[in-house]
Amino acid sequence: MASLIRNVFLSLGRTNVCGLGIKETTNRVTYATALFANSTSGNKGLPDRGGRGSVGRRPRREPGEPRTEKMPLDQDWTSVYPSATSFKSNAVPLPVRMGYPVKRGVPPEKKGNLELVKIPNFLHLTPAAIKKHCEALKPFCTEWPSALDTDAKCDEHFPIKVESTDYVCAGPSVRNPSARIVHLKVKLSRFNLNDHARKKMLKLVGERYCKDSDILSITTDSCPLRQQNYEYAKYLLTVLYHESWKIEAWEAEKTAADMEEYSWEDSLSQKNMLDTLLRMKVAGEGEDADVRKQLLERKEVQDYKDSVVRLKNEGASESSMLQYKEAVRKVLNV
Amino acid sequence: MAAPCRHVGHHIKRNGSFLRINLDQLFASRGFRWTSALQQQGAEVHKESKEPIVIPRKKSWSSEAVLEALASTVHRDPTAYPYQFQDDPYLSPRTSAEFKLFSLSQESGRAAAKYFINNNPKFFTKDFAEPHIPCLMPESVALRLEEVSEEALKERITLRKVSAAVEMYDQLLQAGTSVSMETTQELLDLICLYCDKNPVQEGEPEVEDAEEAGEETKRRKHKGRRAADHLRTSWKENNNAERIFNLLPEKDSRCYSALIRGMVKHGAYSKAFSLYTDLLNNRLSADVHTFNALISAVPDIRDKFNERWDLITELLNQMNEQKVHPNLLTFNSVLKALRRCGFLAKTYAPQTLNEMKALGIAPSLATYDHILAVFYKSGSSGPNNTDIIQDMLTELEGTSFTCQDPHDVFFFSSAMRICLDSKDLELGYKVHSLVEVGDNWRLLGDSYQQSVFYGRFFSLLCMMEHIDVVLKWYSRIIPSLYYPNPQGMRDLLQALDTDGRLDLLPTIWKDIKTLGHDNKVDLVEELLSLMAREEHSPEVQESFAACALDVKSVFDGRSSMEWSTSSLSHVTTLLLRANKLQQAWDMLLLFKAKNRVPSEVLLNNFLSVCQSSGAPKRAVELVQLAAAFCLPATPVLAKTALAEFQLTDEQRSILSEFEAAPEKETE
Repeated sequence: MASLIRNVFLSLGRTNVCGLGIKETTNRVTYATALFANSTSGNKGLPDRGGRGSVGRRPRREPGEPRTEKMPLDQDWTSVYPSATSFKSNAVPLPVRMGYPVKRGVPPEKKGNLELVKIPNFLHLTPAAIKKHCEALKPFCTEWPSALDTDAKCDEHFPIKVESTDYVCAGPSVRNPSARIVHLKVKLSRFNLNDHARKKMLKLVGERYCKDSDILSITTDSCPLRQQNYEYAKYLLTVLYHESWKIEAWEAEKTAADMEEYSWEDSLSQKNMLDTLLRMKVAGEGEDADVRKQLLERKEVQDYKDSVVRLKNEGASESSMLQYKEAVRKVLNV
Repeated sequence: MAAPCRHVGHHIKRNGSFLRINLDQLFASRGFRWTSALQQQGAEVHKESKEPIVIPRKKSWSSEAVLEALASTVHRDPTAYPYQFQDDPYLSPRTSAEFKLFSLSQESGRAAAKYFINNNPKFFTKDFAEPHIPCLMPESVALRLEEVSEEALKERITLRKVSAAVEMYDQLLQAGTSVSMETTQELLDLICLYCDKNPVQEGEPEVEDAEEAGEETKRRKHKGRRAADHLRTSWKENNNAERIFNLLPEKDSRCYSALIRGMVKHGAYSKAFSLYTDLLNNRLSADVHTFNALISAVPDIRDKFNERWDLITELLNQMNEQKVHPNLLTFNSVLKALRRCGFLAKTYAPQTLNEMKALGIAPSLATYDHILAVFYKSGSSGPNNTDIIQDMLTELEGTSFTCQDPHDVFFFSSAMRICLDSKDLELGYKVHSLVEVGDNWRLLGDSYQQSVFYGRFFSLLCMMEHIDVVLKWYSRIIPSLYYPNPQGMRDLLQALDTDGRLDLLPTIWKDIKTLGHDNKVDLVEELLSLMAREEHSPEVQESFAACALDVKSVFDGRSSMEWSTSSLSHVTTLLLRANKLQQAWDMLLLFKAKNRVPSEVLLNNFLSVCQSSGAPKRAVELVQLAAAFCLPATPVLAKTALAEFQLTDEQRSILSEFEAAPEKETE
C-alpha cells in the first residue's frame, strides 16, 4: 500500500513540475527523495529496490495469520465484540465478501475491505449479548404497577403522554441539540369542552390535531433545554384549554365561511329547494312563511337536507351520492 | 489495514416516559381550574380499578453505574492482543521484545504530544470537549512569576522545579524577607523527595540542569530512565536540604520528618538515625511516616539479626510512647526488615501479624508476600510445608484487593514460585483464580512481573497437567498475556513428549517462529530430535518433513545459526521418512559443505529409501559421498548397493572400486 501512495506522490510531483518555477521543482524533488529514503530504511523489502544487498537488512515482516484461526468454536462472542467498533477482518471469523465483482470476478474478500469497514455493523448486539445486557440492566428497573395491566387503564389514568429522546454519541462532545425536543400527546375527548370550546380549540391548534385518533400533539423545540420545552408544552396546553372556553366579543362576527361544518338552515341550498318546491306548486296556497315552514317539515325535504349535509361534510362517496340521488328523486317525485 | 482510529458515532433511542398526574387532585377539588381540565370518567372508573395504583419510587444511581453494569457482562477475549495495540496481525507485537518496544513507543509518543501541548499552550486554546475534560488541556509548566517573593517560591514548589526553588529561597533569605514556616516545610519536602535534583521531565532533554556538575548528568545519562534510577541517587553530604535545615531558627517535627525520610530514601541511613536522635533530644515527636522510614532502614545500619530486631522493637516502643498510631505501612516495613533477620523472622513474624489483627489493620498483599518470603526460602522448603500458603489462600479466596503498598505486586509471582517449587497444581489454580477475582489482575505488576507469574504458572501446568488441559491454557494465555521464553517452550515440548502428542510439534514450531525463538539453536535442536526420534503415521511424517524443511530454511536464512551434526542428521532422517529423496540428498551435500560427518545409520537409511523408491543413480552417488568422507562403512554400503540395485555396468565398476578401497588402506 505504501508503494501505491509513493507512486501517487511521485505522479503529483511530475504533473506539477511544469506549472512551477525551478525553485519549486527542486523542492519537490527533495521531498520525493526524502520519501524514498524513509520508505526503504524501514523493514519492508520492496521488490523494485533490488539494488541493495540482502546482507544487513532485516527480513521482510510477515503479515501474520489473523487471530480468527485461533478462536475456539465455543468462544464467548460478546467478549470479542463488547461494544460498537468498526469491522475488524482480523477478529470476525466469518468468510464475508463485499463489493462489486470486477470483470466477472467475485466480490472481494474481507481482508483489507474498506466497504465492510464503512458500513455500520451490529456484531456487538447479537441475541446473546442483548440477553446479557437485559439481565444486567434489570436491577435499575422498578416494577410496573400491577393495577395498570391494560392499555385502556393506562390511558385513563395517565392521559397525557410526554416523549423525548436521548442521544448517545462517541465524539468530542456528548451534547446533541435534538435532545431538547419534547412531544406532548393527549386525547381531546378527555377534556371538558362544550361545542363552542371544542371548535375554538380545534381552530387554535390547527394541524396539531389528528381527527382519526382524536389526539392533540404539541411538539416544542424552541427552547434550548428539554426542561424548558417540557414546561412550555404544559403551559401551551393550559392556555389552549382556558382560551377555548373564553368567548371573545369578536367571535360573534363568525361568518358562514368560518364555520367548520355545513349547516343547511339559512343556506343557499335551502333557499333553492324551497323556491323549486314553491314553483312546483306542491303545497297548498297560503302565506309564504307558513308555506315554507310546512315544506321544511316534510319528510322528503328533511331527507334532502340530510343528504346535502352529508355530502358537504363528508365529501363525495358512492353511498352519499346515492343517498342524494334518492332524496332528490323523492322530492321532485321523479 | 490498521483499524480506523475514529469511532463511528451511533445513536440509541430510548423510549419516552409516561408523565404522572397526581390522582388525588383529580378527584378532590373539581372547581380548581387546572384539574378540571381532565374529565371525570364517572362511576365506571371506580368500579373497575378497585386496587390503588402504586407508582414505585424512581431509583437513582451514579452516572457510571449503567456502564459498569453493562461492562460486567463482558469478559476477557483470550485471543485478543492487549487493548493498547492496533488489532491487526501485522501491527501487533509477536514477541516480548516487540511488546516492550511498541508499548514504550506509544508512551513516548504520548509524552512527546504532552510536551508539545504544555510548551505551546497558545496553539491549544480551543476546547472541543463537552463536558470539559481537564486533562486534555495544556498544563502550565512554565514559570510565570519572576520577582523575588514567596508566591514565586510557592509556584516553583508546585511546579516541582527543585533548583529554581532553592535559588529563590536563597534570594529571599539574602533579601531579608522571612519565609513562612509552611512554605519552608514544603520546600524541604520537595528537596528531600527529589534528593536535591530536578525531577527528570518526560520528553525534555537532559541538558536542563546545565548548572549541575557535568559528571552528575553523565551519570544520569548512563543510568537512563529506569525505574531503579531513584535508588541510585545518593544523598550528598551537606546538600541543599541539610544546609537549609541547619539555617532554620526553629525546627519542628515536620522538617525533621522530611529530612529523615529523604535520607532513608536516598541511602544515608546512619545520618537518618543520628537526626532522629537529635529529634528525640529536642523532645519532639515524629510522625508515623518517619517511623516507617526508620524501620525500613534498620537492616542497613545493624548487621546482626538480634541487633536488628532489638532496634526495631525499640523504635516501636518509642512510637508507642509518642502516641503515634502505626498504620499498614508500619507493619509492612517491620515484616520487610524481618525478612533480613534470618531465623528470628519465623518467631516474630506471626507476632507482628497478631499485633496487626489486634489493632484492626487489614493486611495487604505485601504483608502476605513478606510472610511467604519468611517461611519459604527459595528452593529449600519441602512439600510438607505448604500448610501456611494453603491457609493463606483459603482465607484470601474471593477477596478483591487494591494496591496499598508498592510491594503488593510481588505477592502473586512469589506465591506462584512456591507452588512451582512444591509442584502443587491445586495451589497454582487457587492462586490463579485469586488473580481473576475482580480487579486483582492490576496487582500483577508491570509486564515483567506478569511474565514471571505466567511463566511459572505455565511451567507448573506443563509439569503436572494432562496435555489437553495444558493446550487449553496455552491457547488462553499465550500470546495475549504472556510471551513464553525458550525455557517455557522447552517445558511445553517436554509435556507434549510425556503425553505422546508429538503430532502437534509442527504447530508448536510455527509458534516458536512467531515468538522469535527460532534463533535459539538448542531449542530448535531439541525440537528436531523429538520429531526424529520415532516413526509415526504417514500424515504426521509428512507434516514433520514440511516442518524440517522450514527449519532448514530458517538455518539457511540466518548466518548466526550453525548446523550441528545431530540437527543435520535429524532433518535428513525426517526427510527420508517422508520419502523426499531430492531434499534429503541436498542435506547430505550440506553435510559436506559444513564439514560434518553423517552417521552410518543415516547412510543405511538413505540406501534403503533409495531402494524403495528405485533410484540406483542416487545409490551410487551415495556410496561416492561416503567414500569422500572416508567412512569405514563404505565397503558395506557398496556391497549392499551392488546386491540390491539394478545397476549399469559403469555403476557396477564404480561401486566395486569402493568395495575394495579399505582393503587397500589396511595394507
